[in-house]
Amino acid sequence: MTITIINSPVTVERAQSVARQDLHTEPWLVRGIIIGVAVMFLTVFVVLPLILVFSEALSKGVGFYLSALADSEALSAIWLTLITAVISVSLNLVFGVAAAWAVAKFEFRGKTLLVTLIDLPFSVSPVISGLVFVLLFGAQGFFGPWLMAHGINILFAVPAIVLATTFVTFPFVARELIPLMQEQGSQEEEAAISLGASGWRTFIVVTLPNIKWGLLYGVLLCNARAMGEFGAVSVVSGHIRGETNTMPLLVEILYNEYQLVASFAIASLLALLALLTLIAKTILEGQIEEGQLPRDD
Amino acid sequence: MTIEVRNIVKQYGAFKALDNVDLRVADGELLALLGPSGSGKTSLLRIIAGLDWPDSGEVSFDGENALARGAGERHVGFVFQHYALFRHMSVFENVAFGLRVQPRAVRKSEAQIRARVKELLDLVQLDWLANRYPSQLSGGQRQRIALARALAIEPRILLLDEPFGALDAKVRKELRQWLRTLHEEIHVTSIFVTHDQEEALEVANRVVVMDRGKIEQIGTPGDVYDNPATAFVHSFIGESIVLPVDVSDGQVKLGHRPLNIDAGSASGPSKLFVRRHDMQIGPLGEGALEGTVRRVRTFGPIQRADIALSGDDTLVEIDAPRDRPLTTGDAISLQPRRYRIFAGQE
Repeated sequence: MTITIINSPVTVERAQSVARQDLHTEPWLVRGIIIGVAVMFLTVFVVLPLILVFSEALSKGVGFYLSALADSEALSAIWLTLITAVISVSLNLVFGVAAAWAVAKFEFRGKTLLVTLIDLPFSVSPVISGLVFVLLFGAQGFFGPWLMAHGINILFAVPAIVLATTFVTFPFVARELIPLMQEQGSQEEEAAISLGASGWRTFIVVTLPNIKWGLLYGVLLCNARAMGEFGAVSVVSGHIRGETNTMPLLVEILYNEYQLVASFAIASLLALLALLTLIAKTILEGQIEEGQLPRDD
Repeated sequence: MTIEVRNIVKQYGAFKALDNVDLRVADGELLALLGPSGSGKTSLLRIIAGLDWPDSGEVSFDGENALARGAGERHVGFVFQHYALFRHMSVFENVAFGLRVQPRAVRKSEAQIRARVKELLDLVQLDWLANRYPSQLSGGQRQRIALARALAIEPRILLLDEPFGALDAKVRKELRQWLRTLHEEIHVTSIFVTHDQEEALEVANRVVVMDRGKIEQIGTPGDVYDNPATAFVHSFIGESIVLPVDVSDGQVKLGHRPLNIDAGSASGPSKLFVRRHDMQIGPLGEGALEGTVRRVRTFGPIQRADIALSGDDTLVEIDAPRDRPLTTGDAISLQPRRYRIFAGQE
């Protein structure tokens, strides 16, 4: 009598799929549907628009695309956006670190209130944020008459755009740092101080290296939002062509004037920024995770 | 360096962490602050280090006011419970930190710093770890590095906050022994905080027992164990049998039963404390207490028995030598050899 041992790939595969089903209780049909829905959603809402932005921007050729970007209004918008981002990100870097430091390392009254206030720009519609600055610095606003008397222009000028952007993007750095610094506690700082280091030195050589990746992450998100902010900036900018238009504002104006290609050309820059941010964010997340090795107690 | 702490008060909101604490630490002493959590021992240590400030009171080192100086100017080595090593620096740089941040005028040269760090790493027997990072070390190694880092600045005082609290039992025991030896070698005035009585009694020259922001007793390990000053110390250090008694006219009563023991100075509702091994077992009628053996188990040289006292059936656990074996059901009498009665029954 002969015994044939059948060990065809099919049976092996079946055995594996049975084992896999034991691990993942959902049948393949359910999984297929769920994954399909997710992929479809991403395609329709993320991938397709991205492709459309670039294809529309390049629809009249690379030459037209480049000349649209080299237009003086476009250049001024790009310049203004960069300036605004640099100033507001630097301000928020300082504010954010200070706020996170205060919340994470000290106990004081009204701490919960402070944390809530830090989140305020996230919970308020950007349009309201913009309106607040109109109420503060507008001609009929709180500081309006005084500013007018001294010939200082804030509203409908670059300062208001920077202020509004700074306000809207304030939470990014602080929110990223607070949990990180709370988790790390202040013992390393205390150790440094008791070893004779000054407060500033402690911050530079102990605190900063411990929060650097989180800080960079917060700055990155803050920057992306600062460059892309529309609502608050739209309210305070006054839309003066070539002067107070940022890139998002220019995109809208060009679009409304049926200059679709020029509009999408600017939009493609913003989309590019988003993609770069996404890539940098992924890299940083890896770094942050690596930096937080489990503390074995 | 002697440390003197006078009338220290520290309050967190409604919680009194330290309530008028006085303490003198002699030069070269190894002192343990022992107490349950919330007893104020860590607060006291942090105030001495300059990491916290008292609401009122004085701290002086060698008669010189320490509160006038910040933590960095007190030359105090502080070792944290969770080590607090600088996680982004190598072991070498961690130990070198205190030397590198010194003012330029007194700072050592790079070669001197290297030599000193090497010396310290040799002292804690971890020179082979110099290039590792804290995350690559075991708990015991981290704690020794933390100690080396604290010693780098040649501290006048060494303060250790629950130094072995986060370590497992075996490493703990080794490090205890090691700390003792180290202290004998370098002889710097040291205070360590612990909630582990065994650790305090084994390592320290003198033990300060704290509870609820107050010092309950200061004494040698033998003292606090053999002559507890208060009911708290008696129950916190070593295990005790505690029985509620009533004292009137020098007569001690358990329930309605008079006991033939000396009441001392207590009167009114009180507590009788007896160490488990201080109960003398005898045949019925020859002791102060009577009861029935419920359960017996043996641990090496001793037998431990649950005794149900006659009357209200209170269960007490006693330790007795094994020369006279007990069996379940025996009716016996118990006579406290050594005991303490403290007034009050809270």
